Amino acid sequence: MTLGLHLGVLALLAGLQLVVPPFHHGMLARIMVLAAYAAGYNLLLGYAGLMSLGHAMFFSAGMYGTGLAIHYLGVGVATGFLLGVVAGLAVAAAVGLITLRTAGPAFLIVTMMLAQAFYLATLYFNEITGGDQGFILSGLHLDLGGRRLALADPAVKYNVALAVFAACLLLNLWLVRSPIGRILLALRENEERTRLLGYNTSRYKLLAVTVSGVISAVAGSAYTLLFSYVGSTFAGILYSIYPLLWALLGGAGTTLGPLVGTLVMTYLVDVTSGLTTAYLIVVGATLVATILWVPAGIVGGIRARWAPWLP
Amino acid sequence: MAPVTALLETKAISKRFGGLEAVSGVDLRLDRGEVRALIGPNGAGKTTLVSLISGRLNPTSGRVLFAGRDVTSLRAWDRVGLGIVYTFQITSIYRGFSVYDNVALAAQRRRLRKLSDWIALDRQAVARDVEAALATVGLWALRDQPARALAYGHQRLLEVAMALALRPELLILDEPSQGLAAAEIDGLCGLVRDIARAATVLVIEHNMAVVLELAGRVTVMDQGRIIAEGTPREIEAHAEVQKAYLGR
Repeated sequence: MTLGLHLGVLALLAGLQLVVPPFHHGMLARIMVLAAYAAGYNLLLGYAGLMSLGHAMFFSAGMYGTGLAIHYLGVGVATGFLLGVVAGLAVAAAVGLITLRTAGPAFLIVTMMLAQAFYLATLYFNEITGGDQGFILSGLHLDLGGRRLALADPAVKYNVALAVFAACLLLNLWLVRSPIGRILLALRENEERTRLLGYNTSRYKLLAVTVSGVISAVAGSAYTLLFSYVGSTFAGILYSIYPLLWALLGGAGTTLGPLVGTLVMTYLVDVTSGLTTAYLIVVGATLVATILWVPAGIVGGIRARWAPWLP
Repeated sequence: MAPVTALLETKAISKRFGGLEAVSGVDLRLDRGEVRALIGPNGAGKTTLVSLISGRLNPTSGRVLFAGRDVTSLRAWDRVGLGIVYTFQITSIYRGFSVYDNVALAAQRRRLRKLSDWIALDRQAVARDVEAALATVGLWALRDQPARALAYGHQRLLEVAMALALRPELLILDEPSQGLAAAEIDGLCGLVRDIARAATVLVIEHNMAVVLELAGRVTVMDQGRIIAEGTPREIEAHAEVQKAYLGR
C-alpha cells in the first residue's frame, strides 16, 4: 500500500503536465526539485532528529560543483551533474565530521556558521563564482539514446525534475523502511539507549548528514541544470531556512511531507505576492497556524488522525 | 591463575567525578552462568560500576576483562556485540515506537553483519527473534501497542525483552523490581531465573527478598568499594553490611 501510494503520487505528478496550463510547468518543475531538496533536509530533521540551518551549503555545493565544471571545464551535463554530487558528498561528509561533535542547538548554530562561511566564500571569490550576480549557463542539453534534449524545453525540464524528485523520494522511502530508518528514528527518540543496543550512533549520524547532504546536492545540481543559473543567493541563509519551513509545514518525519510543504508554500508565496508586497506576513501566519494546530505538519497530521501506516 | 570459567573481571577499576571517587579500585569477578546481586546503599557506586562494565562510562583507571579479553578500550556498542547487555534503571524505551519495533531494533542488531544485510535484512529471522523475546516476557499480545501506552510494569518487561533480543552473555539488570507490584515481582523473579539458564546475570537490587530469591552470590558496595561478598545468608549476617545499611 505504501509503495503504491508513492508511485501513485509520482504518476499524478507525471499526469499533471497534461492538464495544467504551460505557466505552471516551470513552477511545478521548480517545486519538484526543491521538494527533493526538502526531502533531503527532512531525512536529517524528521528521521535522525538533527536540525540543521546550513543545508544551503550542500544545495549550493551541488550547484557550484555542476555549474563551475560546465562553465570552466566545458564538461557535459551528465559529468557536471556527477561532479556536483561528488562536491556535495565531500562537503557533507566534512561538515558532518565537524558539526557532529555538537548536538541540539549547538548543532544548529555550527551548521549555520559553516554555511555562512561558505556563502561568504562564494562572494569573496566572485571572480570565479560571479558572486551574487552569478552566471548563466546556456545550451544545456541531455544526450539520451542519440536524442538531443534541450533542458530549457519546458517538457524536458518538467520530466527531468520529476525523475530527480522520484529518485530522491523512492530512495528516501526505501531508506526509512530499511533497518537504517529504524536506527535513525531511534537516534531521534533516545540516543543513549541506541548506543546501549549496540549501535555506533556517531556513525549513523554521520551517515544521516552525508545522505541528507548528497540528496540536497542532487537537488542543487538539478536546479542549476534546469534553470541554467548559478548564484550565491542559493548559498544564503534563506535557502537554509526554506527546507526547514517546507519540511515543518508538510510534516517532518513523513516521506511525502516535503513535497506537500514545498507545493503549498511555493503557491502561497506566488499567489499572495501577486496581491500584496507584504506576502511574507501570510507565509508567517501560515507557519504559526501550522505550529499551533497541526504541529506535526500537514502529512504528519493526516498520519496522526487517519493513516498511522504512513511512513 | 584464574579458572577458565570467569566471564567478567574488573581489575582495580576506578571512576572519579571531579573530587568524588564513585568507584575506587574495585575487583569484581563473575563466573559464567551465575546470578550475582549487587547491593549497597544509595550512592554506593553500583550504577557507576555497571556503567564501567557496559561501557557507558570510561574508567579513570583499571581494566575490564570479558571472556578473557581486555575490553577496557571498547565502546559501549562494541561491548554489546560481545554480549554485554545493560538494562536501564530508569525505563528507557522508545515511547513513540510500537512494542514490536522496540524489540526489533534490538533484534536486528545481531542480523546486520554484512553489507548485504543492510540492503536486504532477513526480516523473518528478526521477526522470529522478536516473537521469542516478547513471548518470554509475556508481551507478545501487546506487540502492536505503542510503547508509551504500556503500564509501567509492562514497560519494564519491554526493557528486558529488548535486552533478551540482543542474546546477552552477561545481562546487567539495574533495579528491575523498582516500582513493580508484588505479583509483578514474582513474575520478574521467574523470568530472571529463565534468563539465567542461558546467560550470566548481574542484578542491582534493593529488594532483599528478590536478592535472596535469585542470587547465588551477593556483592555489597559502600562508598565506591566492595565491602563484602558471599552467599545471601552470609551477607545477611555480615556486620559491616548491617552497619552500611543502618548507618544510612
